[in-house]
Amino acid sequence: MKRIHFLLAGFGVGIALASAGVPAQTKEIVVGTSVALTGKYARTGQEQLNGFQLWVEDVNRRGGLLGRKVRLAYYDDESKPDTGAKLYEKLITGDKVDLLIGPYSSGVTLAASTVAEKHRFPIISAGASSSKIWARGYKNVFGLYTPATTYMDQILALAKEKGLKRVALIHADTAFPRDVARGVEASAKRLGLELVFKEEYGKASTDFAAMILKIKALKPDVVVGGSYLPDSTAFMRQAREYQLYAKIFAFAVGPGLPDFGPNLGAIAEGVMGNSQWEPTLNLPGVKTFAKQYEQRYGHVPGYHAAGGYGAGQVLEAAVKMTRSFDRDKLRRALLKLDTTTAFGRYKVDATGMQLGKPGYTVQWIGGSRHVILPPSVAARKTTYPFKPWDKR
Amino acid sequence: MHLLEPVLLLQFLVSGLLAGALYALLACGLNLVFGVMRVINLAHAELMLAGAFLTYVLYAWAGIHPLLAFFLVLPALFGAGFYLQRLVVERVVGKGELQSLLLTYGLSIILINTGLLIFASDFKAIPELQGALIVGDIAISKPRTAAALLAIALTLGVYHFLKHARLGKAIRAVAEHPDVAMLCGIDVVRMRMFTFGLAAAMAGAAGVMLTMIYSFSPETGADFILKCFAIIIIGGMGNFIGALYGGLLLGVAEIFVAGFVSSQWAEAVAYVLLILILLIRPTGLKGAADVT
Repeated sequence: MKRIHFLLAGFGVGIALASAGVPAQTKEIVVGTSVALTGKYARTGQEQLNGFQLWVEDVNRRGGLLGRKVRLAYYDDESKPDTGAKLYEKLITGDKVDLLIGPYSSGVTLAASTVAEKHRFPIISAGASSSKIWARGYKNVFGLYTPATTYMDQILALAKEKGLKRVALIHADTAFPRDVARGVEASAKRLGLELVFKEEYGKASTDFAAMILKIKALKPDVVVGGSYLPDSTAFMRQAREYQLYAKIFAFAVGPGLPDFGPNLGAIAEGVMGNSQWEPTLNLPGVKTFAKQYEQRYGHVPGYHAAGGYGAGQVLEAAVKMTRSFDRDKLRRALLKLDTTTAFGRYKVDATGMQLGKPGYTVQWIGGSRHVILPPSVAARKTTYPFKPWDKR
Repeated sequence: MHLLEPVLLLQFLVSGLLAGALYALLACGLNLVFGVMRVINLAHAELMLAGAFLTYVLYAWAGIHPLLAFFLVLPALFGAGFYLQRLVVERVVGKGELQSLLLTYGLSIILINTGLLIFASDFKAIPELQGALIVGDIAISKPRTAAALLAIALTLGVYHFLKHARLGKAIRAVAEHPDVAMLCGIDVVRMRMFTFGLAAAMAGAAGVMLTMIYSFSPETGADFILKCFAIIIIGGMGNFIGALYGGLLLGVAEIFVAGFVSSQWAEAVAYVLLILILLIRPTGLKGAADVT
């Protein structure tokens, strides 16, 4: 095997210690991870790291894991899958960490989990939702995020409940939006909704005029997008220009991010989206975590931060359950475990994919984002139907 | 389907021309720099984003409408381009294409990462100038119309400037033969600074309009620059006005392909056109390497 860590020293990545404190009586437990501190996921990566670190502080205050102090070993994966893969190799073979937490993004997780699988080392994925990760027959990857294929389920169920029929589906041509689209197709079929339009577009598409004109001619009740932020905002802007109307507009990623509203102004009003987690969720532990995080870091945590903290809690629960750090025992425990963290419920299927945690549906109401579904945790009532363009 | 209705076809044409005008604005500046100094500026889209972020900052902090910010962003980008040429780009003029590619690639990496440091990778946009004018049954997007008018005014303005103004003629002389131009008493370095400033200002203008059309982050440049390369080859490498034709052609072709085939295929249009042009008319629509 290559001595990759020598190479990495050249990249100038430095190891950092989590909070110092009282010296541990026994050997400390090292939790290894890579985080996106630079590159395109830099901001989300930093939030995730804050979440990890907050958990490490908390678990040490509670007496550590099985009485041993916990330390976090992390490196910057530059938001790149190949760097992530090298770093996990180093964490496992070089640093000989005791426990592993996954990186941020489906791309880096796909690469990193292959390394963990090779070493038969269980890894808690704290920042990935592409179902492809769990479709490879791996036995060591345990997800926290709601899988992308179920993102639109609540919204389609709402459409069904309102007696809507015609669904138009658009999606970008990369892994995650395709997952969302596959989920929409399956759920529409299950609910008896008619998929009247389906089209894929390139990730660099900046103009949706043709697509919108075609959809408009079909008069759909629901427009659903497997999208990111720039495409969903461009689509809604042009939907307004061409007066495309539907009773429900829903997009993956875009409306779930804080920039969606400010970028679109009044156009954002009523658009629905998905969220993995919100600080206002009506679930045990959520508000305590959100408050503690805000005090510590000076901003309201996003779902990346909560995912980081929740990943730590899942590890903690699995270690408690097995009373050991043995990888085989942990793997079995992680498959059986059913627990609730600050991120929500954790319960995986036989492949390690998250099944227990529902997604949350958000809607832009009055210029801000509110959880509207499921009703048990909703902060606001759904605004329905979408307000026609000429009445705005 | 009822895609062949005249109204819809006309709508496609209008929307395509509007989309194409924005491409053209960006591509013309790229082509100008190539025409005058044989430098392929890989950082051109980042100059556009510099204009976009400057517009965004003026809007967010001082509440200045993008259409007004335009009058501040344009001179700022002109100045930035002017001195960028003096300090950096001038060093690779006449040194072969590889050096200019390396330099401008480096420049684009620096600009992207500076943007990421300041603005992170969040997407910004400005919610102004929304909606469309409805003329008959045709919807004419307000922000894209503003962008198209600006693109055409700027492109034709710069074209006439190059053709008729004294300074413009000097720039053409530098493009045609730098040594002879120098012998005639033209300050070639200054002309190239002026050229790069002009190109940066045009990129900046595209950036101003982009804020009201698309959500952008420091990494958005990649979505635009590849198409721009295709456009200048389609229009004619170094042929300033060729980029206008190339941009409009691409805009229209993309929307018709998206309408009749699929949006995914629209992505390929630029490159299919590129291959067709190279096969049929390798110098591009308007012929290569002529600044006018």
